[in-house]
Amino acid sequence: MSQNVSISLLATGVPGLDAILGGGLPEFSFNLIAGQPGSGKTTLAHQLMFALATRERRALFFTVLGEPPLKMLRYQQQFSFFDPGRINDTIRFVNLADAVTSGRLDEVLARILKEVEAFAPGLVFVDSFRSLLLEASPHAKGGITPQQFLQRLGIQLSSWQATTFLIAEEPAAGDSQAIFTVADGLLSLNQSVYRNSMVRKIQVLKLRGQATSPGIHTFRITGSGIEVFPSAIVPGDTEAGPATATAPRRDGRLAMGIPGLDAMLGGGLPSGYSLLVAGPSGSGKTILATAFLAEGVRLGEPGVIVAFEQTPSQSWTRTIDDLVRSGKIGLINTRLLDLSIDEIVQRLVDLIHRMKATRVVIDSLSGFELAVAPTFREDFRESLFRMVSVLSGLGVTVLMTSELEDRYTDLRFSPNGSAFLTDAIIVQRYVELGSRLNRVLAVVKVRGSDHSNEIRQYEITREGIVIGAPLSEYAGLLGGKPTLAAPLESGRRR
Amino acid sequence: MDGEPRTDANDVGTEPAPMPLQGKPNPRHAAIRSALEQRRGHDAGTSAIAEAAMALSREVTDRLTPMIGSRGVDAIISRSLQLTTPAFPWLGLAGEHLDGVGSLASFKARLEARDPMAATEASVALLVAFTDMLVTMIGASLTDRLLDPIWAPPAPASAKENAS
Repeated sequence: MSQNVSISLLATGVPGLDAILGGGLPEFSFNLIAGQPGSGKTTLAHQLMFALATRERRALFFTVLGEPPLKMLRYQQQFSFFDPGRINDTIRFVNLADAVTSGRLDEVLARILKEVEAFAPGLVFVDSFRSLLLEASPHAKGGITPQQFLQRLGIQLSSWQATTFLIAEEPAAGDSQAIFTVADGLLSLNQSVYRNSMVRKIQVLKLRGQATSPGIHTFRITGSGIEVFPSAIVPGDTEAGPATATAPRRDGRLAMGIPGLDAMLGGGLPSGYSLLVAGPSGSGKTILATAFLAEGVRLGEPGVIVAFEQTPSQSWTRTIDDLVRSGKIGLINTRLLDLSIDEIVQRLVDLIHRMKATRVVIDSLSGFELAVAPTFREDFRESLFRMVSVLSGLGVTVLMTSELEDRYTDLRFSPNGSAFLTDAIIVQRYVELGSRLNRVLAVVKVRGSDHSNEIRQYEITREGIVIGAPLSEYAGLLGGKPTLAAPLESGRRR
Repeated sequence: MDGEPRTDANDVGTEPAPMPLQGKPNPRHAAIRSALEQRRGHDAGTSAIAEAAMALSREVTDRLTPMIGSRGVDAIISRSLQLTTPAFPWLGLAGEHLDGVGSLASFKARLEARDPMAATEASVALLVAFTDMLVTMIGASLTDRLLDPIWAPPAPASAKENAS
């Protein structure tokens, strides 16, 4: 039997954080929360403290120079996690300013240890650690160096079985090494401003003994505190074991809710597929998507829609609105312009689980790209790939719409080259017939399935999309200038 | 001890200090007055009132200093004295720039030169200004959480603090 120590992990209570920490925070670890001013360090520390502190594991929060404690208490109270009733009970604040201004780190250390001894906390926070070093180092003569201070603090607090958090502005080159060496965990927060948007990011640079989630993750600060949106993880290969949250792919096909379209798709959209509906403005993409969701509701298959660009007055919105109000579909409707795709994926996955949804609509990728913070647009295609993979892993069937400028010199399906990510594509276009603008659609691909290759005329009526006959007597439809041609043989390949 | 309803708020509206004591009866203000009277005991002399006011101020300072630092407490004391002086011009503290301890010593000396009634009202006004400012800064819940034990009567049930 193994005699190895087992490290218990503390659930941090910060949504999404445990996932990127590899399951939680190791008990008795010595951690650094680093970041620029305003990046959310103190908020994260408080949120951790209020979540983790109990009668058996009390918290001691040392404030140093920097943000005045009164202001800190004032602003932190704006968060719902801040419970004044726990102050001086399970949570105690101690101001170190008087000890720090003496200038000797050994005295500061002694003061910290005295308070720790008196309160016997299981959690210790020092905010901000860098202020402490900056103030103390000019007077360090006869005392101890910052490195010695750090090491002794680490040793002492670990032996007190306290999980410790030092909050620090970005470490300067000089003291970073000492901190990096002593710390068991290192969380880096930053906020990047790009053009007119601000995005907050968090990275676990180090966490001893933990398989953390690599890379940069986004987070948002709301009235509830910090919520981390772990970077969507593409389900791994079989060597890594079964991918998490992967639902078994259901067999069968989904009805689209538009007469004739199922037949064009070869009998409906295969379950678990992702379908791209591409077309120019006004071609009825959203109406098609709405029909897909409404048909799901009719058949007892709940759905979720992520809407980015529609206005409430439109009729489809009323249909969606009715379905949302009746609890039959879930809606994520956002006009924020600083989203990360991971945030959307997180919200979407939560909603899918909550609704037990099997159908998902993203309307539209073009609106999505606009809503994503500019800093993420460069990686939009890669992020879409991750999103589609995650949704595919959940076993849901996804319909995405994409605004497509009608070009009659080439045939493309999405502005960002994402068509290859999807399993099926329906394209809609305008063509001129008899001096009228007519709509046509075609099924471009259904992976692993027969499907129609006809170009069918369709109309948008009060009841929705009505698919008409194939325009087999015309040629050159996709070029925008059809001409009458000799009738072809049946266009069906099945 | 927090959350206990206070019932002794009837006399708040009669206080002369206009700034902090206007408006609806405030249970916290009443508790401060009550605590001062309790500390003063049966001795109605100015000296006893001044001592009681200083004792309460010291307790407030002792409770807050570990949390917000001595400079933070000093700043609130100085501002409270400044806010109290217009209603009690005889305090004559407007031009003084002392730290918290020095300011309170001056305040005490001024109190001792007045009659008991005036000393009581000025003491209550100072403590009220102090707590009101704290409420403005950190909210009523946290203020009460931190300072209620000082105002609360030393009943056996409410006197027990954190045992560990």
